[in-house]
Amino acid sequence: MSGSNQQVESSSNSSSTTTKKNENVPTVTKDKHSVSKRLQQELMSLMMSGEKGVSAFPDGDNLFKWIGIIQGPIGTVYEGLEYRLILDFPNGYPIVAPKVRFESLCFHPNVDENGNICLDILKEKWSATYDVLSILLSIQSLLGDPNIASALNHQAADLWKNQALFKKHLLDKYEKEVKSKKI
Amino acid sequence: MTSETNQEFNFYEDELIDEKIAAQQTAIEKEIANEQKLVGDLIELNTLLNEYLAEDTVYRSKITELSERFRYMRKTRGDGNCFFRAFAFRYFETLMGKPDEINKLKDLVNKFTSDLSQLGYNSFTVDDFKDVFIEELEKLNNTSDIRLLEEIFNNSGSSDYIVVFLRLIVSCYLQNNSDFYLAFLETYQSMKDFCSHEVEPMYRESDHIHIIALTNALEIPVGIIYLDRADQEKATPHNFPDDSNPNIFILYRPGHYDIIYRN
Repeated sequence: MSGSNQQVESSSNSSSTTTKKNENVPTVTKDKHSVSKRLQQELMSLMMSGEKGVSAFPDGDNLFKWIGIIQGPIGTVYEGLEYRLILDFPNGYPIVAPKVRFESLCFHPNVDENGNICLDILKEKWSATYDVLSILLSIQSLLGDPNIASALNHQAADLWKNQALFKKHLLDKYEKEVKSKKI
Repeated sequence: MTSETNQEFNFYEDELIDEKIAAQQTAIEKEIANEQKLVGDLIELNTLLNEYLAEDTVYRSKITELSERFRYMRKTRGDGNCFFRAFAFRYFETLMGKPDEINKLKDLVNKFTSDLSQLGYNSFTVDDFKDVFIEELEKLNNTSDIRLLEEIFNNSGSSDYIVVFLRLIVSCYLQNNSDFYLAFLETYQSMKDFCSHEVEPMYRESDHIHIIALTNALEIPVGIIYLDRADQEKATPHNFPDDSNPNIFILYRPGHYDIIYRN
């Protein structure tokens, strides 16, 4: 199994926004306009938030694909580690949740080999009032507070109860697969 | 920790099944989207007879009887938002060309927006929905052109934003009146929990509690006519609140809400 079916088609998102909204233009134009506007607002509010442990920024010129960075929460086994995430915003955002996955390998009970995250607010509990900041903060808190009952990585879930062992395993993996790729 | 690799990889199976289900669901949703507008054109209610077999006498006789009192209807898309969308369309329709009533609703909308902010909701995302809601509402101040309303509600950009905002109003109202409504919850421990699972997410279907909360929050009564297989001569009406005299009527068939018009 490769990660290919996890890929998100974001190319269709990158076409330029045409006219501003007008009663008679087709629906797509207005949707696209309001999604761009919303994402720009989110970027502003994220930059103004002064939040230190999380950040995110559009990937190049494409406003519909962002790279997020979260720091492992202090006082957890993830303290001192840093992870990169990819956020893909569909045309229907924020009615539809963005697709969020770890770009860096993350050894965690609720993250699978392809970086997919099992987090209720990205699925059945998604609300259009959530924004990038609340998503990043939720993922950050998930790191230190996993939901063992709905694990995607069963090995990590089993190890979780032995925090010392978990940390050793985590740091080994991080050293091997995250740090080495950073350079 | 016996077979590490096995444990590590057995989630793929679940993952594959999840993906298949998701793909199937997307296909079904596309089909529904192609077949039914978000809010359909005005049609005669007795055209519903075409949906039932000749031998389905319970439904057929109820529809015939109902169409004498409610001649016209509009179908809505069965996407889980149908109650909210049906209600919003019909409510907005009753406000067309009535700036005083529109202003009253705007005051209420602003009150709920500040209540939501007090409940800790993100102001700028809530404002996004409120702004579209009010912007579309204000277009109706001086017009009775139904095509404009049809356009607003069939443009998912505005239509879905209006639905989101109504969901937020219901959530806000329920959380601020949770002492009373908590008793109606069966599977949820807290009102916040109920709202974040069953009210705020789009496409989540509405139940009695959503209807009661919305009609109380906006102080707009609604009549729901239940059309089902129950062994009665007529489709059963139920007004929310009980003793009200509504102008807005919605037809309920198991799992779905459509707009109907009283003669």
